[in-house]
Amino acid sequence: MRVMYALSVVLLTGACSDLARSPAHAGADAQVQTLGTVEVTARLVEVPEGAIFKRDLYDYATILKYEVVTVHRGALKQGAVIYVGQYNPWKPRAAAADRKAPNLGGNARQFHAGRLQRLALATPLDDFFMGGLVDKYFGRRAGPAYWAVWTNDAD
Amino acid sequence: MKPIRMRAQRPGSPGVATVQALFSKGWKKARGFFQALGKSAGTFPSLGNAAFVWLACGSLAAGAAEAPDVAALRAEVRGLGWLVFAARSAAGDYDLFLCRPDGSALRNLTQTPDANEAYPLFSRDGTRLLYRRLARTETINGNDYGTQGRLCLARADGAGAQTLGGDGEFPWASWSPDGRQLLCLAPQGFQIVDLASRKVVRTLPRAGFFQQPTWSPDGRAIVGVANAFGESWSIGRMDMAGGAASAVHVQDCCTPDWFPDSAHIIFSWRPAGQTLNKGYGWTQLWRKAAKGGPAQLVLAEEGRHIYGGHVSPDGRYVICTGNMQEDGDPAHSGAPMSLMRLCDAPLIIGANAALRTIHPAAKSGPVLALPVGWEPCWTLHELPAGGGGAKP
Repeated sequence: MRVMYALSVVLLTGACSDLARSPAHAGADAQVQTLGTVEVTARLVEVPEGAIFKRDLYDYATILKYEVVTVHRGALKQGAVIYVGQYNPWKPRAAAADRKAPNLGGNARQFHAGRLQRLALATPLDDFFMGGLVDKYFGRRAGPAYWAVWTNDAD
Repeated sequence: MKPIRMRAQRPGSPGVATVQALFSKGWKKARGFFQALGKSAGTFPSLGNAAFVWLACGSLAAGAAEAPDVAALRAEVRGLGWLVFAARSAAGDYDLFLCRPDGSALRNLTQTPDANEAYPLFSRDGTRLLYRRLARTETINGNDYGTQGRLCLARADGAGAQTLGGDGEFPWASWSPDGRQLLCLAPQGFQIVDLASRKVVRTLPRAGFFQQPTWSPDGRAIVGVANAFGESWSIGRMDMAGGAASAVHVQDCCTPDWFPDSAHIIFSWRPAGQTLNKGYGWTQLWRKAAKGGPAQLVLAEEGRHIYGGHVSPDGRYVICTGNMQEDGDPAHSGAPMSLMRLCDAPLIIGANAALRTIHPAAKSGPVLALPVGWEPCWTLHELPAGGGGAKP
């Protein structure tokens, strides 16, 4: 009986783990599923040269380009290209929030091209952030820039 | 420690001789010496910093030798009103200080060891003063100082100070031309606030502006730092009549301020392609017509970034600050301010062969080294002697 119980626990745990890793649930947590007005799983297309730098005297947001893989909330469409402002992107998301940009977070630690992330987004960016912006896509992008409220890795 | 005060120095005394020798080697070495002195005395470095200011001014007041052209400039500006600026006091906090444009008659206006004061702005008529008061524990942030702490209003000599609103209210408040309104910049947009009623009487879209907005002396436009005109920090101009915004200068520029003619601005810019400072370059002081046109170099210095340019009310001089850090270093000890004639521009301090190739007509001086200070503001208005101690 004990063996059966242990086996059940192992199977259940594995199932939950698989569930968490499945595309629909990867990176899900209470914050990413409730914050902002849009929630997507998206792939970071690239990190332009000079878009992310560490400079202690400057708090800034950088614009990053994502391709939407799954739409969980909001009116975006799968395959859409979106531009997202990430605040002080050289910091792990869990350490990024401060007085200037409160209530940010997530478990993503770094931004690498090709990485899949689950994002809770708000828009327009200007309503949520008043500060320096590094926008390597300036003059080359259309549509609103989103503000990343919560960013979890979803690989 | 008491507030920094001018004290007569006997010419030839060891203190003055030391300062003279250190001045000849540059302000950075001199300040380092006094900071080390403060540390070795078991006190915080600002004690040494304050000593540097005090002795430096004392030595100059005592007639320490300086280049004739610098001495002439010092004498020329001495009676032209007052400068107000933030600087670290002997108690280690940031207070507001007044001095004559030649650096003399230095006095502490606020004397609040439990608080930091920063971002002082004389009204255009020179009779009143706006500034922000922060908790002593809050570090002044070179990019957010206009939103930190509480807005304070006082007479120009610091007397009669009162706080307006709570922490963070009236962000980036600066004067209207007539002194009856404040221009504020919040995430929701620009707000024009009637000073008497404290009510918002008009709003304008933010249009990407995010810091350091200033209302033109003629009341027709705003300049400020914006993120809507290029890849990074840009200077923008907004027309007050219709709210139309346009770029003045793009890429790595900030701290804009108006010339008295309301047609030109002074600003800081770090041009790309510099080889010095490990390829990062140094931020320089530039001027430009607010509605466009070529930018003209005003002041560049090898070895420090230059920020906080402010043109004298008569349009003949400019004061600025800055140091090796990018923000004028308000989180630390600060750096000496500088003053120059605009008719002497462009000026390049230091060898900087590459820059002199670009600006072959650039002079090397004269530039006055003023007390350590940050974000200075100038009025021609004459203030009563003494005063100060602004404690709402």
